Amino acid sequence: MRTNVKSYRNQKRNRHKIRRDKILKALFFTAALVSASAIAIIVIFITQKGITPFLNGDVSLVRFMFGTQWRQDQGVYGVGYIVINTLLTSFGALLLAFPISVLSALFIAKIAPKPIASFMTTIIELLASIPSVVYGVFAAGVITKLVMNMAAGLGLSTAGGSSQLAVILLLAIMITPTITSLSIAAIQAVDRDLELGSLALGATPTQTRFKVVLTSAKSGIFAGAILGIGRAFGEATAVAMVAGNKMFGPTFHPFDITRTLTSTMLSGLKETTGLDYDIRFSVGIVLMVVILLSNLLLNAIRKKIGKVSG
Amino acid sequence: MKKCNIRKSDMALNGITYLASLLCELILLSVFVFTFSKGSSLINWDLLKNDYWSKNYIVESSADHNTASQYEKPDDLSHEAYFSRRWGIALVDHVSHEKEKQVLIEYIDPKSPFASVVDGSAGQNKGKELNLQVGMRLEKIDFEDQNGTAGITGTILSENAETVVKNLDQTAETLTSAYVKTAGGGIRGSIIATGYLILVSLLIALPIGIAAAIYLNEYATKNRVNQLIRTGIEMLTGVPSIIYGLMGVTVLFPITKAFGATTTNVLLGGITMSIILLPTIIRATEEALLVVPQNLRDASLALGANQSQTIFKIILPCAVPGILSGVLLSIGRVIGESAALIYTMGTFISDAPTLLTQGTSMAVHIWSIMSGEQPNFELASAISIILLIFVFLLNIGVKWISRRLQKEWH
Amino acid sequence: METIFKVENLNLYYGAKQALKSLNLDIRKHHVTALIGPSGCGKSTFLRCLNRMNDLIEGCRIEGKVMMDNENIFDRQVNVVELRTKVGMVFQKPNPFPMSIFDNIAYGPRCQGIKNKKLLSEIVERSLKQAALWDEVHDRLHESAMALSGGQQQRLCIARTIAMEPEVILMDEPTSALDPIATAKIEELIEELKQEYTIVIVTHSMQQASRVSDDTAFFLLGEIVEFNTTQDIFQNPADKRTEDYITGRFG
Repeated sequence: MRTNVKSYRNQKRNRHKIRRDKILKALFFTAALVSASAIAIIVIFITQKGITPFLNGDVSLVRFMFGTQWRQDQGVYGVGYIVINTLLTSFGALLLAFPISVLSALFIAKIAPKPIASFMTTIIELLASIPSVVYGVFAAGVITKLVMNMAAGLGLSTAGGSSQLAVILLLAIMITPTITSLSIAAIQAVDRDLELGSLALGATPTQTRFKVVLTSAKSGIFAGAILGIGRAFGEATAVAMVAGNKMFGPTFHPFDITRTLTSTMLSGLKETTGLDYDIRFSVGIVLMVVILLSNLLLNAIRKKIGKVSG
Repeated sequence: MKKCNIRKSDMALNGITYLASLLCELILLSVFVFTFSKGSSLINWDLLKNDYWSKNYIVESSADHNTASQYEKPDDLSHEAYFSRRWGIALVDHVSHEKEKQVLIEYIDPKSPFASVVDGSAGQNKGKELNLQVGMRLEKIDFEDQNGTAGITGTILSENAETVVKNLDQTAETLTSAYVKTAGGGIRGSIIATGYLILVSLLIALPIGIAAAIYLNEYATKNRVNQLIRTGIEMLTGVPSIIYGLMGVTVLFPITKAFGATTTNVLLGGITMSIILLPTIIRATEEALLVVPQNLRDASLALGANQSQTIFKIILPCAVPGILSGVLLSIGRVIGESAALIYTMGTFISDAPTLLTQGTSMAVHIWSIMSGEQPNFELASAISIILLIFVFLLNIGVKWISRRLQKEWH
Repeated sequence: METIFKVENLNLYYGAKQALKSLNLDIRKHHVTALIGPSGCGKSTFLRCLNRMNDLIEGCRIEGKVMMDNENIFDRQVNVVELRTKVGMVFQKPNPFPMSIFDNIAYGPRCQGIKNKKLLSEIVERSLKQAALWDEVHDRLHESAMALSGGQQQRLCIARTIAMEPEVILMDEPTSALDPIATAKIEELIEELKQEYTIVIVTHSMQQASRVSDDTAFFLLGEIVEFNTTQDIFQNPADKRTEDYITGRFG
């Protein structure tokens, strides 16, 4: 009975085990590589398809980039004004959502008593989990009416409420939970000693929260803003339901209809080949570049303000 | 004096944080109120089990039971319904979301000639029994009067329920045939397609995602290749879903074509979704792997297990709750996704979707009925309610799991 | 006297930092060897060399030899999985797997491909008896090991190691997380196990070293200052630093 296990010690099997380890590691590595290469595949193929209209000479790159008209029916594709519209609506939404998010985050993380705070956290999580198409239905049913009434109050008319303002309001609602939850995390990460230090200097709790806590958390809060604006740029279905798809622009008037990069990509999806189809990929490239550039810019700003505070 | 100022400004500052939070609550509340008020009237089993497209039927009366007699009006019949005493059928007026006037069947007496009609449409089912059902649209009724003269009545002649019942009761003696349409407006096909999507995307994304997470957490040393892999996966999170849609139709379409697909299809949507899910699953799995104590790995290795045995017997079982929450998050993502699927599955609502044909998920169904000339708010809201319920349940599930996960190791 | 490990000029580096400096010592078979020294002196690192647990640490580089059965355990052709079945290890914190008591002990044998239920229960029973845990747990073998007390968990970990019938058991401060009564039980156990196994134990407690060990090595800053029989080390240390340490002048 003694050397039971020992007799099972088998050199061949153990060599096998080491070999199996190596095979498995290679498999796991492949999985990781496949996952990571998806991003490269996306960039390469969309770029390749997106530049064909320009390489074939169907569309002039300059006209595309700086154009102020998008007329599929006439074969005029100018994305310049659409980029401006996209920037306007997204940053407009950020401007609205940012203060609301940061203040709610401060309330949840520092001010509210625990049961209310956890209730509010749940609300933010629920808001974050609502599918965008549901927000789209909500926007088409409620926000447009709101905008229409506002316009009527000012003596203006709208295209059934579809407008730049409606897009901005919708996007603001959609990115608020993103910014709020990242801000909550940033605020909760602030060193308690900093607060105590401020309180010890005679500052009131409220002064401490607004002056010390928010300043210390600003890098994290800014990261939330960056994530939020990324979502605003990329949001498609909901925006397309209330944008109105204007054929020229840019749109500066809040009650005028607009057209964003994503709503353009979703409009008139009937073709599956040809220029009308390929040009969507070109718009896709522009969308990715816009997101990338604004991310780089905002990150640079974030680093700068981060440094000032030390 | 100074102190008083400070208190006032403090109160003002606190006040605006209350207001901001209140605003968040109001938004959630108004989304709820809107979708429920618009959609709740449609929430019933019929919505879930009916086809979206209505089918047309011509039904013929059976020869031995096609004449008028006397029927009792049921007590619980609604006030808007018009009851035909001689034919035992009740009809009601209805206006569709497209503002079309319709006459719907509200009640049929089991002994009525309308209850024993047969299929009159040409085809192999001709002559077989076909039950008229409550909720069907009555378009036209062909009958004969006491002189044997043929007559018709129905919405085809822009008649409403009251007129149709009057014609039936006063003129009709023998029933010849009727033209009816099924109610339609159901989302059974979209529910099936959503199920396919969840299945396909998880089937692909789960093994790859878990394997990738294991590599990153258990094997990867800090070198440039692994750093690059990590960055690549993190970048996937920031790509808008519509871009995934573009990738789906170019890069992945050939895969489904090899299976025999000719158009955009459900399988393509599933494969595309699986790539969207990868970062979610990888992150959830990695978070779970991270909390597995290192000393369990040591103990396993010190007992002569190799790394594969350690991973499969010790680490993965510990990581199951985390993986599960990744699965729930993924299901939520698939259910809610629309932009990527509009590209890869198409927007044609199919009542019998298969993997290789077009179909819509519930979310795309909403998009499809909202982007037409006459947006159907009622149905869109009803589907939204279903989506919201699902997503919230999944959310609760994730929370519950993460709370249990925290308990386990602390 | 038969030696089981012959350590020759062993150097170990973490990146650029040298953690072990040219160690030389012979570890005797069926004896208890204690490794003592202040924390961070390299005694645990050395212990983990003996079953190559340091392989897992990034940037760890080893020079020199550890001979076991006329084979350098760092040789390329040495199978690390096999080595670890021969050289088991008990860790500082009790670390039972989150499964039943039975499965904990059967884990190692199962990894060696033993599937026979009867054989497995024999192994489990024998290991638990040897680890003096059988009486306490025999009626709840299929309950979670996490429900055991700390001392029981540590004895379970020892039983788990014994189940593999190793030649050497490495113990890394096995009692540092336990109360005095549980510690005493483990020390008793070590005394028993010595009959069949070679034991190398890292300990922070001088008393424990003197109580349980036959040989003692005193580590300081990655070097072995002195290696001798425990009796000699504690009664007439050759080196001043050893004397200072064991009399508690630094630690």
